[in-house]
Amino acid sequence: MLAYTIKRLLGAIPTLFILLTLSFILVHAAPGSPFSMAREMPPEVKANLEAKYHLDEPIYEQYGRYLLNIAHFDFGPSYQYKDTTVNDLIAEGFPVSLTIGGFALLLALVLGVPLGMLAAVRQNRITDYLCSAIALGGISMPSFVIAPLLILWAAVYNDWLPAGGVDSWQSYILPVITLAAMFTAYILRIMRASTIEVLRSNFVRTARAKGLSTARVYGVHILPAAILPVVSYLGPAAAAILTGSVVIEEIFGMPGIGRFFVNGALNRDYTLVLGITLFYGLIVIAFNLVVDLIYGWLDPRVTY
Amino acid sequence: MRRLRIISVALLVCIGLVGCGSGEDHKFPNRISPDIGPDGTKTLRKGNGAEPQTLDPAQASGVPAANVLYDMYEGLVTYSRTGDVIPGVAKSWDVSDDGKTYIFHLRHDARWSNGKPVTAQDFVFSLRRAVAPATASPYADIHSPIVNASAITSGKKDPSTLGVTAIDAHTLKIQLHDRTPFFLQTLAHPSSYPVYPPAVKQWGNQFTQPAHAVSDGAYVLKSWQVNNKIVLTRNRYYRDNKDTKIDRVVYSPIGDSNSELSRYQSGALDFTYSAPSSKLEAIHKHIPKQMHAVPGLGLYYFGFNVTRPPFKDNPKLRMALSMALDRRIIVQKILRGGQPPGFSYIPGDMHGYDSVTYPWTNWPDKKREAMARKLYHEAGYSKDHPLKVKLLYPSSESNKQIAIVASAMWRRVLGADVIPWNQEWKVYLSTVHRHIDTTLFFAGWIGDYQDPNTFLSILNSHSGNNEPGWDNAEYDRLQSASEHMPNGPQRTAVMHKAEALILKQNPVVPLWFVTNHHLIKPYVKGFVGNPLDVYLTRYLNIVPAGQKGGGS
Repeated sequence: MLAYTIKRLLGAIPTLFILLTLSFILVHAAPGSPFSMAREMPPEVKANLEAKYHLDEPIYEQYGRYLLNIAHFDFGPSYQYKDTTVNDLIAEGFPVSLTIGGFALLLALVLGVPLGMLAAVRQNRITDYLCSAIALGGISMPSFVIAPLLILWAAVYNDWLPAGGVDSWQSYILPVITLAAMFTAYILRIMRASTIEVLRSNFVRTARAKGLSTARVYGVHILPAAILPVVSYLGPAAAAILTGSVVIEEIFGMPGIGRFFVNGALNRDYTLVLGITLFYGLIVIAFNLVVDLIYGWLDPRVTY
Repeated sequence: MRRLRIISVALLVCIGLVGCGSGEDHKFPNRISPDIGPDGTKTLRKGNGAEPQTLDPAQASGVPAANVLYDMYEGLVTYSRTGDVIPGVAKSWDVSDDGKTYIFHLRHDARWSNGKPVTAQDFVFSLRRAVAPATASPYADIHSPIVNASAITSGKKDPSTLGVTAIDAHTLKIQLHDRTPFFLQTLAHPSSYPVYPPAVKQWGNQFTQPAHAVSDGAYVLKSWQVNNKIVLTRNRYYRDNKDTKIDRVVYSPIGDSNSELSRYQSGALDFTYSAPSSKLEAIHKHIPKQMHAVPGLGLYYFGFNVTRPPFKDNPKLRMALSMALDRRIIVQKILRGGQPPGFSYIPGDMHGYDSVTYPWTNWPDKKREAMARKLYHEAGYSKDHPLKVKLLYPSSESNKQIAIVASAMWRRVLGADVIPWNQEWKVYLSTVHRHIDTTLFFAGWIGDYQDPNTFLSILNSHSGNNEPGWDNAEYDRLQSASEHMPNGPQRTAVMHKAEALILKQNPVVPLWFVTNHHLIKPYVKGFVGNPLDVYLTRYLNIVPAGQKGGGS
């Protein structure tokens, strides 16, 4: 297992390198400059700015300089937020995104897994239909619909929760619920489908024939087998959810990393976009590895 | 089938449950909850649009950064409640007869937030820094009236040669290369504010961070969490501290105006940056007294690329397109925010200036449209040979509406074939600046200071902001002359001539003037709307209903 982990980690280096190179080419190929504004600067001022950020150098020199900095874990200065660095912005934004995403993921699991199993056990009965309806609602309603409705209900019409910004832990409740809605729905559907399949398998029949208690059949025999598809879904989902949802961060005014990413792209803030892309790539790779390791632990057929 | 029915019933129940909360359209909740601490600390919570890119006065650009800087810093001159330029750190000044030398007498009680006096040397340091190439200030050109400023910015001279000298700690001399009637206006702009030299020398770019922040205005930076909030607290050394009523200011960057409205309604904001245009009617109906529509110094226009056909050397065609637009329909039916229609180039709310308007401003529609058709035909176009161009606009829902409405008007009145064409903002900017692909584009311009020159100067053929590429020797002559004449009827007459020339030649077609919308809670006192949209917190007060106390 240790050898496998090391192999995977080493394999991540070329992946990240390719990701970085492609992103570097793409952001520099996008038309428009970080310093173009509605009010055009005098050419000499623009030249000064470009010199300050080394944008006047040939592209391969910029690339070399950037790689060198990355090797020192220095993502460089942000072109947009001039008083700060990309490292600081990620360090400030990631905890917020992590908190929203982490709790949303937890909520989605706590709701989705039992409801999915319940729906499978009560297949084609009213409970199943209700769960399916909830799932359908969660998948069909985009967060930019759910979020304003929740704000209206809990913050504007009632004085229960803040409408946006981050002041206290209460500020996180609505974003977490909104973000969890869609993931709950997905997990519920995946869990339902896999449970139905597992229920029909021979080892479950054997377990029941041995006279095991219902709780033991479900907890020890069905759950670990049925949850496998959810686990493999969680890898990419967790990476996506933890690195921030730009829609939710924008509507709730949360200072997360997702907003930096999109604003960075719109403002051609090269270093910010590249820094977050690389960071995102790291997280995706890490989570896929974690999921594979969990898989090996849950499923005895998988060995490394 | 049965399953489907049950699912749809369940879905309807879900939607119904959600709907209950928001379905009561007749209600418009609006919580009144001023932020006054148990010890009487008054906090003003302002929406601030986007996150400021920097709080360095020399490097900042854009309204959100300016709003914070107005509170943090005070220049030689500052803005009054009504947006006029009044003495700031300088209590008075003398101007030489030729208008080229200014002697500023600084107040002895002006203090930095660490208690140190604000000196003439601080201004020398800050203005040199603002024009230095190393600073790369986007507003470096606003200082171009000062001797050697442009040469320093382009690296031809050393910053120490700038025409700004400290005669003593409290006397500052600024020399201009020519008379500039709006010079004091440029000194009220954030890029002219002083920065604390020791902090800049010690911390470099980081001097704007809360731990190192030293400023000379009514407030000082307490904390700054990017994309969440900027908190300012009282600068107790500020000369007018005893008359400053509000203790803290919280600026929240909220880009989406609907989210901002929700936060205002929930009682978490006292003063908004804007109001969503789709909700203006509801706001007007329910809280008309909290809604402030303030005409501003901004123009939206269609620009022609006059360096290429079909608009090159074709003023008749340009006039035909201008006349064919029904601006009143655009502002009344599409924008619906009380914007004044654009029949002049300079906003009607520019202090001390009466704009020139199109001679046909008040013609009946039929007569105006007939004349538009006549000019269109004279320019060589007809039904069989219609004008075919693309109208470029930056992608957004509201810009799209404008582009569609305008092309429909041109099609109806002239039979012209104008195709709306959108591009993402930065792509749009580079396309327009290149003057190659565009023929017709939608754009806007916000004035930097309270003088017609902030609009007139951009159409000078040497201006980097001359998007149409207009090159008219007569106009250049008039505009340059007006830059250096003393204020008075003579200068106004020259500016009138210049504006009339624009309206005759139409390198741009004015559409409407900006109106800024702010929602302000009734307990916030002392607000006076002004065209520059400048509101210093030190003029405001928070007085809950039933309490006595004046803000104005």
